[in-house]
Amino acid sequence: MSLIQNNIKKEKNLAMVIVGDRCIGCDACYVSCKTDWDVPAMKEAFRTKVFEVEGEDVNGNPTIGFLPTLCNHCDNAPCVDVCPTGASFKRDEDGIVLVEPDMCIGCKACMVACPYDARYYNEEEQTVDKCTFCLPRISNGLDPACVSTCVGESRNFGDLNDKESNVSKMLKDATSVFKLKEDEGTSPNVYYVTLNY
Amino acid sequence: MGRHNISRRGFLKLAGASSVAITAGITGLPSPLKASAAQEATRGARFLKYDRGVKTHNFCEMCFWNCGVDTYTRNGVIHKLEGNKLNPNNRGHLCAKGNAGIQSTYDADRIQSPLIRTGKRGEGKFKKVSWEEAYKYVYEKLNPLVDEFGPETLATFMHGTGEPYPHMLTMAIGSPNITIPAYSQCMGSREMAWALTFGTGVSGHETFDMANSKHMILFGRNMAGAVQVREAEDFAEGLARGARLTYVDPRQSESAVRATDWLQINPGTDMALALGFIHVIIRDNLANMDFVRKYCYGYNELTKHIKQYSPKWASKKCGIDAKTIEKIAWEFAKDAPNVVAIPPRRMTRYGNDTQTVRAIAILNALMGNWGVPGGIFVRNKVPLDFPKEDMPDAPDARRADGVGEGEKYPLAPTTLGRTNGIYEATLTKKPYPIKAWLLYGTNPLSHSSIGVNNLYKAIDNLELLIAIDTQFSDTVMYADVIFPESTYLERYDAPYIQKDKTPFIALRKPAIKPLYDTKGCFEICKGIAKEFELDDWFEKSPKEMQEELSQVLNKEQMETLEKDGVLLFEDVDPYPNASGAALNFSTSTSKVQLYVKDLEDMQKKHGDEFSPLPIYKDPAMPKAGEFRTLFGRTPHHSHARSQNNWVLLELQDDTPVWMNPEDAKKMGFKDGDMVSLVNAKTGHKSDHSERLKVTKRIKSGSIFIHHGFGHTTKAWTRGYEKGTKENWFISDGVDPLSGAAAFHNGFVKVVKA
Ligand code: SF4
Ligand code: SF4
Ligand code: SF4
Repeated sequence: MSLIQNNIKKEKNLAMVIVGDRCIGCDACYVSCKTDWDVPAMKEAFRTKVFEVEGEDVNGNPTIGFLPTLCNHCDNAPCVDVCPTGASFKRDEDGIVLVEPDMCIGCKACMVACPYDARYYNEEEQTVDKCTFCLPRISNGLDPACVSTCVGESRNFGDLNDKESNVSKMLKDATSVFKLKEDEGTSPNVYYVTLNY
Repeated sequence: MGRHNISRRGFLKLAGASSVAITAGITGLPSPLKASAAQEATRGARFLKYDRGVKTHNFCEMCFWNCGVDTYTRNGVIHKLEGNKLNPNNRGHLCAKGNAGIQSTYDADRIQSPLIRTGKRGEGKFKKVSWEEAYKYVYEKLNPLVDEFGPETLATFMHGTGEPYPHMLTMAIGSPNITIPAYSQCMGSREMAWALTFGTGVSGHETFDMANSKHMILFGRNMAGAVQVREAEDFAEGLARGARLTYVDPRQSESAVRATDWLQINPGTDMALALGFIHVIIRDNLANMDFVRKYCYGYNELTKHIKQYSPKWASKKCGIDAKTIEKIAWEFAKDAPNVVAIPPRRMTRYGNDTQTVRAIAILNALMGNWGVPGGIFVRNKVPLDFPKEDMPDAPDARRADGVGEGEKYPLAPTTLGRTNGIYEATLTKKPYPIKAWLLYGTNPLSHSSIGVNNLYKAIDNLELLIAIDTQFSDTVMYADVIFPESTYLERYDAPYIQKDKTPFIALRKPAIKPLYDTKGCFEICKGIAKEFELDDWFEKSPKEMQEELSQVLNKEQMETLEKDGVLLFEDVDPYPNASGAALNFSTSTSKVQLYVKDLEDMQKKHGDEFSPLPIYKDPAMPKAGEFRTLFGRTPHHSHARSQNNWVLLELQDDTPVWMNPEDAKKMGFKDGDMVSLVNAKTGHKSDHSERLKVTKRIKSGSIFIHHGFGHTTKAWTRGYEKGTKENWFISDGVDPLSGAAAFHNGFVKVVKA
């Protein structure tokens, strides 16, 4: 079975591929994103966030790892399903899930429905807000703000429908691939991979 | 906390800048529940526009690494900083701090005009004055002190791109007491050890070729946590390409994430481990003898000396078992010469720091990794002749900090000085009274080595404290007169010329006019100098210096520099050894000095700390019931300078106390308990309590907190009193060889709050 499951038709299949073991937990992505999109000055407000995961190995030795997270631009997006106004919607052309501020009534149903805690309520703008895969930037030939600053070069962005794109190649070469909470049936478009180069 | 923070948007509202486009997000009346066709049609249209704005070239000043920055302004407001893709320091990326440079500039807590103290020292009462009044004040206070005590009564501390100007001013006034804390409070012992061995320091822009390395041994050097962009990139790149990583640290830091081996060493015993590695390498004939024969001095002496330091011996000292020491030494040698052993950057630790780094330097030398990919690359100068600037003659007066020929620290460089020595001299008034300090971008109360309490006493001995800074630090609050500096986004600076793997020139141009009544450091120092009729030394402004580059660069180069913000000189060889070129070492033997003959006499005079080969000595140990205070950087903050930056504060605003589970159990503590620290020597108790983080990531017997917190300056509305200032709990030791500070022999009791 192909790793890339499309259950809806998109001209482009935009995705982020995160090389897990290249992330050094520097949080440059967090600041770059908050700055570019004027995300309010409060801890609860963010579009992307990196978690430090502490654990133990089989010998009882401590381990740490880093997990960058953002909206998964799910193909089966529960946030879109529950939105009463159509403010939350998925673009046919590339699969990006957006919130249209003019249509958002702030009921926060989507924040509850999202299994990934990818959304926050922006008091200043009176709308729910979240990652847009930096649509304004990518529409103008730039990388997403988090990708362009990523110090570990962990984050990669592109079109999975283009077999020649860097993200397609990475998924092909990956020694392991996972997506977050796949059992929720959301069909996320953020991939975490291990490469051996 | 959000409401207390001033976002740029909030700032703009305050500043009344109405012309600025703010993304419209106003929902008028509640929308009907079902979207109309018209709404559906325009839904999301706003997300297709992106106004990049006007680009200006700069380089980052959030830390000393100076990454290339492209600033983007919309309607005169800086909107976004991006890494300059062509700048070798960062290749397009910025770290969290670098990205947050905007927030530091648009911070209403900044110093907004020249100020003169009105209240008691440290009380924080100042009056706004004109620049002329402030300059005059310095003259009127400093001149009588110079008359009475000599010009050497002035000591100047400097950190930042504007350093040449306070330096010039101090020399022109006639004081030799110029000090750059980056030496004695940070890299001094490392640089000294490297210079003794290789004839050159590691330098601030380190020469470890991690991207191409097959095996890196990091001795307490947290590449992923103490982030400097290129190094973090190279570190991640090397690991992604399959390099082995041996990470040596009593604490499992960010850098241990993918260590092949994490050696949770006993604190202060890194030298024993390095000597153990060297022993195995020599015993098992694993040294790169081609390199040793051609380029090294003192291999026989080393061979004899190292016999005593077997892996079994090392294991007893450092707590890493002998088998592991052998295994790693073998693996390391197997991949030579594309391997590198990396000493700490801030090597102000146990007082044996120079000799510890000497052992690490020898380990590298035996691999023959100098000038080889994956080892230590060779820095090249920008191959141009820049016109020499006129400088005042070096003052004759004796330095106050024991640096100089015939003094206690004859090897320490007079161009950098011992900041800790200046503190000591100010406190003790020996060898002569220091009555005035000029601080440029430095904050002694956050990097002290004589204990914060003693530093307050030292400050009491001052008749004049002058500060030049962008912001009110703890120490700036004690100043008598304050000169507000424009931030790096608001000012020109002299051309940035970096000797490196690929040497380059970079430019800093202001993206915006100063938001407040501030000036560049050049203008400020020139203003002070004018009062002393010494302003002739301040001939060319930074902007003029940029323009004058056209005298050394050709037209095409000038155009490239203006267009890209950086000009690279790529026709150089960082790997001369690999290319078969002969190597030069500027040591007294012109060789890599495994054995430092120059130290023989000093050893006789001053003892074994000055030995030509590193001699191991046990570190000071805590008493039962006490813990050693370890501290280090967080990726989210720049030393003690960024804890009022709202976005960085969101990432980290506290300093949990790390403690090993065994220790916690003994103490009856559990994770999440609130605790206070008590300095076992001074009795000082932390002002407020911290959360206990119980974790195996810290070795039993030590606690760990992050550096840079616990600010007492009330002018910082957000960073005030967040976290603990480690300075209260560290030691005031000195490495006898380099004269640099030793902080890690400070012991504390941990008590329930
Ligand atoms: S991650 Fe959450 S917000 Fe994003 S598309 Fe999926 S459900 Fe919606
Ligand atoms: S910028 Fe990259 S390396 Fe740094 S935390 Fe974000 S994803 Fe990880
Ligand atoms: S490492 Fe970070 S703070 Fe330092 S100069 Fe680079 S971007 Fe700025």
